[in-house]
Amino acid sequence: MSARLRDEIEAKRAKLQEMRQARIIRQRQDSERRATTPVKSPTQADINALLKSILGPDDALSPRSPDLTPASSVPGTPSLGHPDLPGPSSLRVSGRVSRISSAGSDRAGFGATLVHSATENILDRPITPKFTPDFIDVQQELFELPQRERVTYNKEIQTADTDSDTETTSDEEIREIVFRERETTVDAERTLERLEEESATLDREIEEEIRDLTEEEKISILAAPEFLDFVEQSSKIVQRALNDNYDYIRDYTSGAETGGDDSEGKRVKRICSFWDERYCKNRSITDVDWSPKFPELSVASYNKNAAAVNEPDGIVAVWNLHLLERPEFVFHSQSDVLSVTFSPFHANLVFGGTYSGQILLWDTRSKHLPVLKTPLSAAGHTHPVYAMQMVGTQNAHNLITSSTDGMVCSWLVDMLAQPQETLELVHAGHNKTGEVAITTFDFPDNETTAFWVGTEEGNIYQANRYDRAGAKAGLNQYDVYKGHSGPVLGLHFHPLIGPVDFSDLFLTCSVDWTVKLWRARSLAKPSTTTQTVSSIYSFDEADDYVYDIEWHPAHPAIFASVDGSGKFDLWNLNADTEVPVVSTSVSADHALNKLQWDRKDGRRAILGGSEGRLYVYDIGDMAIPRETEWNDMQKTVAGFVGGQTNGVEVDSRMLPNGR
Amino acid sequence: PPELEQTLALLSSHRSVLGYLLLSRGQPVSIIRHSGVVFEGEHGKKYATAIGRMIESVQGALEEVSGEVNEGDEIRFMRIRTKRHEIMISPDKRYLLAVLHDPTT
Repeated sequence: MSARLRDEIEAKRAKLQEMRQARIIRQRQDSERRATTPVKSPTQADINALLKSILGPDDALSPRSPDLTPASSVPGTPSLGHPDLPGPSSLRVSGRVSRISSAGSDRAGFGATLVHSATENILDRPITPKFTPDFIDVQQELFELPQRERVTYNKEIQTADTDSDTETTSDEEIREIVFRERETTVDAERTLERLEEESATLDREIEEEIRDLTEEEKISILAAPEFLDFVEQSSKIVQRALNDNYDYIRDYTSGAETGGDDSEGKRVKRICSFWDERYCKNRSITDVDWSPKFPELSVASYNKNAAAVNEPDGIVAVWNLHLLERPEFVFHSQSDVLSVTFSPFHANLVFGGTYSGQILLWDTRSKHLPVLKTPLSAAGHTHPVYAMQMVGTQNAHNLITSSTDGMVCSWLVDMLAQPQETLELVHAGHNKTGEVAITTFDFPDNETTAFWVGTEEGNIYQANRYDRAGAKAGLNQYDVYKGHSGPVLGLHFHPLIGPVDFSDLFLTCSVDWTVKLWRARSLAKPSTTTQTVSSIYSFDEADDYVYDIEWHPAHPAIFASVDGSGKFDLWNLNADTEVPVVSTSVSADHALNKLQWDRKDGRRAILGGSEGRLYVYDIGDMAIPRETEWNDMQKTVAGFVGGQTNGVEVDSRMLPNGR
Repeated sequence: PPELEQTLALLSSHRSVLGYLLLSRGQPVSIIRHSGVVFEGEHGKKYATAIGRMIESVQGALEEVSGEVNEGDEIRFMRIRTKRHEIMISPDKRYLLAVLHDPTT
């Protein structure tokens, strides 16, 4: 450390020497100029006295002192060979003294000889013209040689670096020398400090300067992809943190702050709505789904934005309940996405079915383009895919998709190049056309081979994926579930929960403003003749198309429906079978297209609107079923069945025996 | 790039956000971008050094605690709630996003 500082000190000294040399050269030039001008010359006596006083203690310094008489200075000085550094008049004497005393410090050796001082003394006083030419000669001769001697002498003297400009007599001179010897160490320390301070200030200045990046650097940084990724990531995190409105340092003991507490039992509350100017404008939501793995994530698929031709036709956005301003992920598609589902077995995969018949697979770990696509060929779908569902178990699962030309395809998740199996549903016995235009389908819980489809003509059919005893693969044309007078838009089987099995009941909703409850015919006894199955009950409360319907995942008697007037109806069959328990007008001038309960306990439901907004509603305690719900539901159903299917309500409690 | 601008504009338009600072980590931290009245000029520079120092010291403390050289742990997100504001810092290997907001609004 000290070595480094010493090096720094040496460097500084060199700098100082250079400065002083420059100064001396300047001084020499000045003196030369002055030498040419007449100057007053001192008296001889004065000069001698001065010389003796100075030379006295310094005999060792200048063995040539006898030479230093003014008269002989001229010729004698050459042998001395002193460096000539005439300083300014006021400083000449002192300069000389300092040079002698500071001999140890300066290698450059400003030290003028006494001869020079003598000559300078001559210079100080007005010089008679006769001396002038001599002076000049002396000066020019005595330049190089003395320096070396000075150097050797300097080492012995070991005086300090500082340049003292005080005028002193010989005593003072001695004192100065002594002082300087004492001060050597102090000065060294001081230089050390000074250097440290300098470096500190320099560092600070460097910091100040570097703080502001240049424009170029800024531009290069802004374009770097990792910078953009970083901004995406961190801004999402910050926004999620911003959305958390709870002030956790709130002091409950002080102040009378009235916190709004409005958790009523029977209320349906809107939690939030998701909408993004860029992605959702002018688009409608075509399908919604909750994530099986992260309960706060939901996905919505959007159709085409007619106003913006350059934007992708199909958008799929994953929304986070904690991040309200923007989607977590956005995926693009080249054609409208009509159905979307999270993969229940892979946390990162999202499937989408499009208007062109392609099935797309997106990965949340990748960017916004699909990771896998099915080919646009006759092997897959060539018509819009309105419904898709994942069936099976973790190890053996398939994606079943259906399109409006009656094709039902089954795909393996990692092999979307061609379907694992295709099934064309054809209604052989139909009086008009064999084509079955599937709008929706559903598998009952625990079933993977038989499913029910809803069609555009309003009938519901049952179909099998594979041949089985008594039934062939394809549409079961014998059982026609006839009831709706318009396309069936939603079909949902009762989930298998709780002590009583209602999984043969399914609900359908349609364009004819009704919701119907059906009991599926048992698969064990397949029929061989055409039969018409009627609905058990019909709910006629709506006054607009009913777009979607879903049973509640936890409560056996609750289901919800959304319709074209923007209403979200919550029905509880144990409470009232004619009107919904709660009817919420979500958006007065836009229809609600899709509905999905959240998977676990069904407290929340997402509703997809036709203006592109995704609403999240919470139904609170109504979602919690009591013990008696199942038995009550049994009775209700029995009441339906007993009262036939003309919509007339029979009080289920009046019938003693259920079915 | 427009997405960047959009994201940052969205961030600063949040009702409780007073401003943000985008810094690049380095021995003296340098400001890439800033917004909001709070981070203007000299004051912003002071904030930048302060935040840089904070992150360095916390990271150093983490490393001390974890003991070994193999980076056991690193700061993922820092949320400092003071009496008046809350400052949220999301660091990265190379960059730093700091957002100042007032949670009571």
